[in-house]
Amino acid sequence: MDFTIRAATLEDCKDISRMILELAEYEKVSDQVKITQRDLEQDGFSKNPFFHGIIAEVPEHHKSREGHTKVGYSLYFYTYSSWKGRAVYMEDLYVMPEFRGKDMGKALMSKVSQLGLAAGCTQLNFTVLDWNKSSLDFYLKQGCWDVTSDLGYHCMHCEGDALEHLAQGDL
Amino acid sequence: MANFNLRKAEPKDVPDILRLIKELAKYEEMEDQVVLTEKDLLEDGFGNQPFYHCVVADVPAEHQKVEGYSVIGFAMYYFTYDPWIGKLLYLEDFYVMKEYRGFGIGSEILKTLSDTAVKNRCSSMHFIVAESNKASIDFYKRRGASDLSLQEGWRLFRIDKENLLKMSAEE
Repeated sequence: MDFTIRAATLEDCKDISRMILELAEYEKVSDQVKITQRDLEQDGFSKNPFFHGIIAEVPEHHKSREGHTKVGYSLYFYTYSSWKGRAVYMEDLYVMPEFRGKDMGKALMSKVSQLGLAAGCTQLNFTVLDWNKSSLDFYLKQGCWDVTSDLGYHCMHCEGDALEHLAQGDL
Repeated sequence: MANFNLRKAEPKDVPDILRLIKELAKYEEMEDQVVLTEKDLLEDGFGNQPFYHCVVADVPAEHQKVEGYSVIGFAMYYFTYDPWIGKLLYLEDFYVMKEYRGFGIGSEILKTLSDTAVKNRCSSMHFIVAESNKASIDFYKRRGASDLSLQEGWRLFRIDKENLLKMSAEE
């Protein structure tokens, strides 16, 4: 199937928002999505964007059952390793179920890799949930390695009230 | 010893930042992994589009316990994005020299960073800790942090440059 991979624009935020919800549903946590289309427009397409996007698009005659031509996306941003320097973080990678098996996921990831390398990055990082066997297998096949398993690195966070208390100096 | 000063890092701090990065890597038994140079840190942190931000802790001359060093702690961080909840602050490195621990410097650094997170409307502060680093895990849990790898099955994945190049060449 014909498809194109291109940089996301402001106009794509409606479809990105739709697909973010679809991905959250796939991960069984759609009630946790607080970001709106408007937030995406502001956070991704203003002077100092917090993320960048790429879209997988199919021609009109291959549109989805519900009439969408934008059928996959990836959101990424630049990070920094204090050991190795510039890095790129792939936050989301998603292809609509009816368009899977056509290498669109690989093409999106390849594009993020290209853009990262062009920006001087020497590594690409991302997170996978441990129950997501098909994604784990896909990534391991692409030459990725599991830092949590191999080095014992745990992802931690301090959010909401805990963050507020920390900011106020409470212990 | 009560006197210490927390401030935004300046270009002149780069040699000290690299020294402290290497000390922290040594503590994590990963010293040989640090390939970053002073030139990289300067270009990537103090150019037009910084990849990271840094705060440093310094002590006045009369409180120097270690010959020649007035910068005795630092934290490196940057902003990331979660498409469900928006902006996050990512803590990349956080370290206080051994001789200066127990005076509340680490807590003060963390308070400053949390305050930065809240002021920038970040929902959460994220970071990685090695599971073998019990002291650090306890330090963070005491301050309300939770382990996403244990609780939600998050696994950090990485592709290094060699495989990144292969992936970017795939059409």
